[in-house]
Amino acid sequence: MKSKDLRIILDNQQNDFLYKKNKSKLNITFNRISFIFFVFFIIFLIYTIHLIHLGSRKAKIELNNDIKISQNKLYRADIVDRNKKYLVKTIDSIDIGISPSKIIDEKKLLLNLKYIFPYKDYLEVKKRIKKGKFFYFEKKISEENYEKLMKLGDKSIEPRDNLIRIYPQKNLFSHIIGQIDSDNNGISGLEKSLDDDLKKRQEPVILTVDKDIQFLIRDELIKYNKIFDTIGSAAILMNVNNGEIISLVSLPDFDPNTRQKISDLNFINRATKGIYEFGSVFKTFTLAAAFDEKIIEPETEFNNLPKSLTCAGFPIREYDNKIPSNLTAEQILIRSGNIGSVRIGQKLGEDKFKKFLTNLGILEKTNFDIEEVGVPIKFNWGKCPLATASFGHGITTTLLQLAKAYSIIVNGGYYIKPRLIHKNQNVKKEKILDEKVSEKILPILRKIVTMKEGTASLANVAGYEIGGKTGTAQKSIAGNYSKKKINTFVSVFPTSRPKFVLAIMLDEPKTNEDYIYHYRDGSNIKYKGTPFNTAGWTTVEVTGQIVEKIGPILATKYSEVN
Amino acid sequence: MKKFSIVFLILSLILFTAIVKNSTKRVDDAIFVLEENIRGLKKDFENVKLEHDYLSSTEKLLEFQNLYFDDELVKKEIEEIKIIIKKSGKLQIQQLKFINEK
Repeated sequence: MKSKDLRIILDNQQNDFLYKKNKSKLNITFNRISFIFFVFFIIFLIYTIHLIHLGSRKAKIELNNDIKISQNKLYRADIVDRNKKYLVKTIDSIDIGISPSKIIDEKKLLLNLKYIFPYKDYLEVKKRIKKGKFFYFEKKISEENYEKLMKLGDKSIEPRDNLIRIYPQKNLFSHIIGQIDSDNNGISGLEKSLDDDLKKRQEPVILTVDKDIQFLIRDELIKYNKIFDTIGSAAILMNVNNGEIISLVSLPDFDPNTRQKISDLNFINRATKGIYEFGSVFKTFTLAAAFDEKIIEPETEFNNLPKSLTCAGFPIREYDNKIPSNLTAEQILIRSGNIGSVRIGQKLGEDKFKKFLTNLGILEKTNFDIEEVGVPIKFNWGKCPLATASFGHGITTTLLQLAKAYSIIVNGGYYIKPRLIHKNQNVKKEKILDEKVSEKILPILRKIVTMKEGTASLANVAGYEIGGKTGTAQKSIAGNYSKKKINTFVSVFPTSRPKFVLAIMLDEPKTNEDYIYHYRDGSNIKYKGTPFNTAGWTTVEVTGQIVEKIGPILATKYSEVN
Repeated sequence: MKKFSIVFLILSLILFTAIVKNSTKRVDDAIFVLEENIRGLKKDFENVKLEHDYLSSTEKLLEFQNLYFDDELVKKEIEEIKIIIKKSGKLQIQQLKFINEK
């Protein structure tokens, strides 16, 4: 019995041992829970990381929301001027089409349509329904009519999304902005050159132009086109320090809202596409090149200058026979001497003059924000061509390149690139000319306006320190020079601290017997009638009138107050 | 106790995730509604701005000037433009210096 009891006790002891085994089983369960917890934790961690990643990705998109690919095929970004005023605005519109195959009750449909659009030609609509092909019933409908049509619940009425491109400034920026076709593709101007960007951008494109200044310049040009009976004209107002174009006008222009197909060559962009011989405005380049090469100084004398020269059988004459035979380099530019400029050019030499003009970007096609840019006619250099180029004869370029070159000459010799699209970052300045060139040339340009012997006294508007150079060139038609003229005046102001270049060109101006000139020399003299159709009597007068109008705005809005 | 606390932790994590997800969805909905409202307002603003730009264009302003003000609004000469500067609480009037020439 005792022994049996003992066995039992032993059994119990065995059970005790088994109990310990059970305890270890609990440990296994705990590990499993830990494992599940671990798995959950990992999933939780993955999701957390994923969420953080998604969050940061969204933030990145928000940061770069300047360029965002639009899902809408018909999207096109707006264009604004430097003051964020609309120049182009896209408005969504709906066109209503009819699909004849889906018509259930033609009579009922026509009756309903007649109720909404009572003035439509329904005989024509009936004819088109009979043809059985989809057609547009009404384009660009109002929201009110769209709602009415949708309430009809007719499946044959199919709305199609479309966009309307509105140009609220009408003709004002036509040559800059250009046009689009019916498929939302740019066909000219910035609409063409920025076509892809406009379809992708979320934010409007900001231009450097100012619509108020553009209006005032255009208004004056239109007025003087009538006075001088020109076939067209152009003007560029540029900031000499950064190449920003504040105004670019070319006349005649067009209203982009009407979507006309323009084939008339007279509607060419005269500011950027038209290639012209500008004449005496090139004399500034000859003198500036000589200053840059340190060949001459403003006081360098040129004695015994003849009244005419012959080069390859062609005569080179002075425009003004009263011009003295002994002149300094400065006087040659002030009096616009042809022979004196030839002498400076000869002293400079072909290679140096060519290099100078190439550096200024006069001879080659310039890169610009619009594609309508003219290519200067290739200039064949030689002894005689050097002589003629010295006074701006036989050498061609665009008004845009002319304005750019003058800007470089007067801004201390820094290279600038004309631009229409506003950029926030400062462009790194590259010095291409000796800074002394600006210091030497600016007082001479000022004297052209202030001195009696100068050719631009009509532009001497008080308070703006205008300097500049005139250019009257005979127009070349079919390879021969005609009596028709191209009158140019490139002005710089204020000459003590140049900020703006205003280049104006009149195409074929004529004299006007009734126009009254008000002399700006303080004499208060009035003079009736245009004696000659030269730049001094036409373009210079236009420049004076324009600066009078835009000057106060430029002085207050675009220059730092000190 | 440990087992219970772990299960409780897991359950509370799940619950917490569900609550967060739910409230996120509600915030998302609110954001969506706000964005839609902003889009509508933005469109209205753009249209009003377009109208304003047109009505306040130089062309229109000159037209209004001729219609309503005759000779009351005239162009200022540069010499007449002065600058008002506030220095230590006092207003000072200075000449606008656009040029250096005398």
